[in-house]
Amino acid sequence: MGAAPNMSVTVGGLTLSNPVLAASGTFGYGREYAPHLDLAALGGLVTKGVSLQPRAGNAPPRIRETACGMLNAIGLANVGLEVFLRDKLPFLAGLRQKGLAVVVNLYAESVAEFAELAGRLAGAAGEGVSALEVNVSCPNVKGGGMAFGVDPRAVAEVTAAVAGAAGALPVWVKLTPNVADPAPMARAALENGASAVSLINTLLGMAIDARARRPRLANLYGGLSGPAVKPVGLRMVHQVARAIPGAHIVGLGGIMSGEDAAEYLLAGARAVQVGTASFVDPGACARIAGELTEFCRQQGVADVNELVGGLINS
Amino acid sequence: MATLRAEVASHDRVSDPGAAPEIFLLRLRAPEITQKVRPGQFVMLKVAAGLDPLLARPFSVHGVEGGDLLILYRLAGKGTRLLSQVKEGQELTLWGPLGRGFDLNVKKPVLVAGGMGLAPLRFAAAALAKQGREVSFLCGLPGGDGFSELCESLERWAGSQVNFSLATEDGSLGVMGLVTALMPEALAWGDAVLACGPIPMLGAVARLCAERGVPCQVSLEAPMACGVGACLGCAIPAAGGGYLRACQEGPVMDAAQVDWERL
Repeated sequence: MGAAPNMSVTVGGLTLSNPVLAASGTFGYGREYAPHLDLAALGGLVTKGVSLQPRAGNAPPRIRETACGMLNAIGLANVGLEVFLRDKLPFLAGLRQKGLAVVVNLYAESVAEFAELAGRLAGAAGEGVSALEVNVSCPNVKGGGMAFGVDPRAVAEVTAAVAGAAGALPVWVKLTPNVADPAPMARAALENGASAVSLINTLLGMAIDARARRPRLANLYGGLSGPAVKPVGLRMVHQVARAIPGAHIVGLGGIMSGEDAAEYLLAGARAVQVGTASFVDPGACARIAGELTEFCRQQGVADVNELVGGLINS
Repeated sequence: MATLRAEVASHDRVSDPGAAPEIFLLRLRAPEITQKVRPGQFVMLKVAAGLDPLLARPFSVHGVEGGDLLILYRLAGKGTRLLSQVKEGQELTLWGPLGRGFDLNVKKPVLVAGGMGLAPLRFAAAALAKQGREVSFLCGLPGGDGFSELCESLERWAGSQVNFSLATEDGSLGVMGLVTALMPEALAWGDAVLACGPIPMLGAVARLCAERGVPCQVSLEAPMACGVGACLGCAIPAAGGGYLRACQEGPVMDAAQVDWERL
């Protein structure tokens, strides 16, 4: 056996000890998983989306298992910025001191709200936050309720506003797969101050109980995640990597193993996020980081960065 | 509390042969869990390896015998059908114990089970009896079909400290009627209720307790993905607005915490 492979990567203004981050909405605020795995084994984590005001979330049922996946319509339930700063940030700051990247995911329904959130986080977060991730899958209430993320002009506007308010904090933009081509959205983000794009968010879906003739989710529609969506995520990461040479991409969608993570790196991602896998196995993020190291060792890859973008030109 | 692999020590169908309800008793060697688990808590159990079904299922704990964890479940869908095919000697993946269990600091407990709600309540009854408490255990079923052997074994198990009463809607076992019909007599003695069963039944039990000023703990279930408080899937409408997580603030909650109208 040769020397241990280098697993450190740089992405979106951050240097990570390894390419595996926990995805927003699947890992709480970090503390929830502390009893279940060694958090220090992660490259970092992305928090549950934080909004200016607390949100109770949608009426249940909120989730439904589907073939090799699940639908969720949680409704971005979260504690709100004030409680986040007071109750959640101290633990996250401790993780950051241990070398984890702490990325705070932002949810808002207008450009002005996004800018206010970013400004207040940049001002109050101190040493506790490494970067911000903007969720542009939410409805643009002032823009008629259509999601920010399906309109390149709206992506550009919200990215510029957040980047302007965030000071030195790097800004990532999390893109929706519910578009024909993600490249124009990625370009709009990266040309307006984003250091990286994360993709993909969940695919909009539906489940029906035919016998009861009822939708399975109270919200009717929900976001599909899990291994069922991995081919879509790989395709979209590859599309953006090919369309925008040098783009910093964080890949996610259905990663269940170290080898799945390697597939995303080959498609063009510099780092990955693990989401639904944490529900299936609370130790998944640490396991997958270990498996990716083992994959590199077995494949004779001395530096994980050798994998990044390996298939862009194929 | 990492995930564990636990060997199946035994796995038997305990409902009557040929009857429609298929009920199984699963015994897992899981000393890491049995050392810690309290009545009313649950475990997340992967019913099969692989990606479909993807998610683990929450199961309440039916009892503990040494290092063996007992799970009583009814075959209800694809997941439990796959689980029912698991054989002795095979291994299953699980994590736990999880959630908030029953508060057993009660003097004269009345346990009210509807159907498979008896699964966690047997564990609670055993723990209360061990504390030296006398227990009234009320059990309601739609009908006796399938349950007669299970009920007989519960009656045998109950012994002198646990007073077991049964009601069936069709009158085929015990008293004819709903389990709530047994409550007035039990509450003439008891001073606390611990309940588990279908939501309409729990709502009726909670109302009856509220009318009499008797503290009532209910064990609730909801579709759940992670079991550890992160996914926010298992939302239970809270009295006074918002939601509680069945996996963290529950599965056992004070009935007064729950908004029964929205549930």
